[in-house]
Amino acid sequence: MSNLLAARAQMGTSLAFHIIFSALGVGLPLLLCIAEGLALKYKDPNWMLLTRRWAKAAAILFAIGAVSGTILSFELGLLWPTYTKFAGAVVGLPFALEGFAFFIEAIFLGLYLYGWDRLSPRAHWLCSFPIWISGLASAWFIVSANSWMNTPAGFIIKNGKVTNINPLQAMFNPATPYETIHMMLSCYVATGFAVAAVYAFSMLRGKRTDYHWKALRLAMAVGAIAIPLQIISGDANARFLATAQPYKLAAMEGVFHTASGVPLSIGGWADPNSGKVYYAIEIPYGLSILAKGDPHATIKGLDAYPREDWPIVEATHLSFDGMVGAGFFALLIGLLFWFFAWRKKRAWQEHRWMLIGILLAGPLSFLAIELGWMVTEFGRQPWVIVGFLRTANAVTTAPSLNISFSVFSLVYILLAFALVRLLLRLARSPFPPIKLPWSSTPYQAEIATGTATERAGIE
Amino acid sequence: MNLAFLALCILWLALIAYAVLGGADFGAGIWDLFAVGARRRYQRQLINQAIGPVWEANHVWLIFLIVGLFTVFPSAFASLSIALFIPLTIALLGIVLRGAAFIFRTYELDASSRSAEVWSRIFSTTSLITPFFLGASAAAVASGQLAASNGTATTDLGAVWFSPFAITIGLMAVALCATLAAVYLTEEANSYNEPDLANVYRTRALIAGAITAVLGALGLLQSPFAAPQLWNGMVTRVLPLVVVIITMLIGLTTAVLLYRRRYGLARVVIILEVAFLLGSWGLSQYPYLIPPRVTIANSANDPSMILALLISIAIGMAILLPSLYYLFSIFKLPYPVPGKTAESEALPSETSGQGPGV
Repeated sequence: MSNLLAARAQMGTSLAFHIIFSALGVGLPLLLCIAEGLALKYKDPNWMLLTRRWAKAAAILFAIGAVSGTILSFELGLLWPTYTKFAGAVVGLPFALEGFAFFIEAIFLGLYLYGWDRLSPRAHWLCSFPIWISGLASAWFIVSANSWMNTPAGFIIKNGKVTNINPLQAMFNPATPYETIHMMLSCYVATGFAVAAVYAFSMLRGKRTDYHWKALRLAMAVGAIAIPLQIISGDANARFLATAQPYKLAAMEGVFHTASGVPLSIGGWADPNSGKVYYAIEIPYGLSILAKGDPHATIKGLDAYPREDWPIVEATHLSFDGMVGAGFFALLIGLLFWFFAWRKKRAWQEHRWMLIGILLAGPLSFLAIELGWMVTEFGRQPWVIVGFLRTANAVTTAPSLNISFSVFSLVYILLAFALVRLLLRLARSPFPPIKLPWSSTPYQAEIATGTATERAGIE
Repeated sequence: MNLAFLALCILWLALIAYAVLGGADFGAGIWDLFAVGARRRYQRQLINQAIGPVWEANHVWLIFLIVGLFTVFPSAFASLSIALFIPLTIALLGIVLRGAAFIFRTYELDASSRSAEVWSRIFSTTSLITPFFLGASAAAVASGQLAASNGTATTDLGAVWFSPFAITIGLMAVALCATLAAVYLTEEANSYNEPDLANVYRTRALIAGAITAVLGALGLLQSPFAAPQLWNGMVTRVLPLVVVIITMLIGLTTAVLLYRRRYGLARVVIILEVAFLLGSWGLSQYPYLIPPRVTIANSANDPSMILALLISIAIGMAILLPSLYYLFSIFKLPYPVPGKTAESEALPSETSGQGPGV
């Protein structure tokens, strides 16, 4: 494997791994905050049990998020020193601010996770606010740096040197509002549907208690509020790309030739060699309408750009369609669930097929995050900083990167395996007695978590 | 230039914070390796209890350091990343495995299970490896032999970061982390009314401290030829020399305080010791970031960027420091703060492997 490919593979693996935990790190604290708030307000033991359960899962997930995030901050320098030299000079500020946000998050997380007995109930609940606020801020800062890589701003190049640096202009570059909002919403979509999927699974296995129902509804509320907003935000992104990064939109949609009245190609294989999209479903004038609001509008195709500047078209197009497909599936599930609620058809909300749909929407929402991230990364190639630095020129001169890639891949496999095993065991473990703030005696839940045989095995 | 120097001072303070907080977490992991005998589980429980609430926050100082360095001195950061690719990658793997192993073992349902044991081993081994390679990397920078003659950085395959000097400093970093943790754990054990456990760590702190001092002396003896520029910077200027001497005196004071069981005071003094040790390195090396070529002046970023960073740091710290104070007052300090309930006096039961908040 060439050093460049190994570096890209390692960076890609690291990001694909980390993005799951960062999304949960933004989404879960909000669920914790709402659940604990409801528990305190209604003195409801089930809400408190959920808070405790989620807090334990969050502790593990956040720790993995923290260490995998550390890998990334090192890798920026270790794998891409030329990029870091350039980016640090111009867009270091959001990285530093993200550091602060992460710091606040870690501090209050420590208080939250270890402070059940040391903090008053109210102070404990209040500690969840800085966690979700700083989680959201982290997402904004980091993605603003990614936006800058797509639409670099806030500096000029004079005699080969970067000068006239304007840190705020760099942070608030043209792509920032579009990319950051899209990422922030995606965290709530994915966390909402993923948590809902966990409880849909339990309910499918016959555990239809008040505890499961509360968890399912709260998670579905978060997911279903976020998903329509996310689709609006996605549409805004596409319109933005049509003018700011037309080559990226062209790669996403598989448009090879500049033309007017361009159809929307759904699915299929975009082949850059023949300049055609095979096996796609075409909606006439679709893309022109979506991107420019006019069926006869001209859409720039990849032929407007030199071949060596084309993004990785095949992967960008497939990832994009996969993301959109998963997103619309989640939208459908969210709408159906709450439509049934509105019509007061709880039996339909709890219907087997509804639950199966929710069970699918969870992993699909995370798939959408991964694919969406791939769209933005593959669609930016061959540049790491569009127009200024090619990925191939940013890679380190350090030798034998394939060894480094292999070792890190092994670490990720180990972490993923250990994490899944631990979370599954946690989900099956019986509820220990908890202290309820409004009662002096410990509360022992009588909710079956595992199956009868699993419980027998544990006890 | 002045802005860059100010920013560097802040980064150096962050380095000190990482050393006294994160370093102690590494040290706790090292002691975990030595937790043997009948009271082993008990010792581990103390370690879990001590670092559980704070390790993630302590770890962020490192992140802060990295992003700060690459924002203020982007070219120096790039050179270091290339030159120290190997030791930094190993340290990174150590950091990652250590954090993950700690959380896995804390939340393992059965603390005596085999997998909990494996995670404990990984946690303690990586706690030993990581400070070694971080210390060796620091020594490689201080030695002034990293930059190639033509100025472009190349990956050092071990000639510099695995030289006798770097190995000495790497080992010293390990011993220092162990000392720090042992001193904190004496106080921690004391706060749980466990004088026996406090005594165990008192002995360990004295031994580890002595080893640190010996390794420090060995490092100093090698400096004239292994890190000549650093040595010259130290002996030819008053301030660095004074700081080095104070560092040694503080080290002795720590030993005396430990010997007399003044654990609370020893905790304060050992923090000062680390601050002065790192301070003496920085002062001796001034104005070089990576001797012999990269200086503060020739690698500093555009002043507008540094200013923006300094302003954000000021705002960030205004939120961060009170939060950090709150965290430590809840878990580590005896003073009352709003929202804090009465302290629990005893260590949690030995059999609980379920982690906090069950």
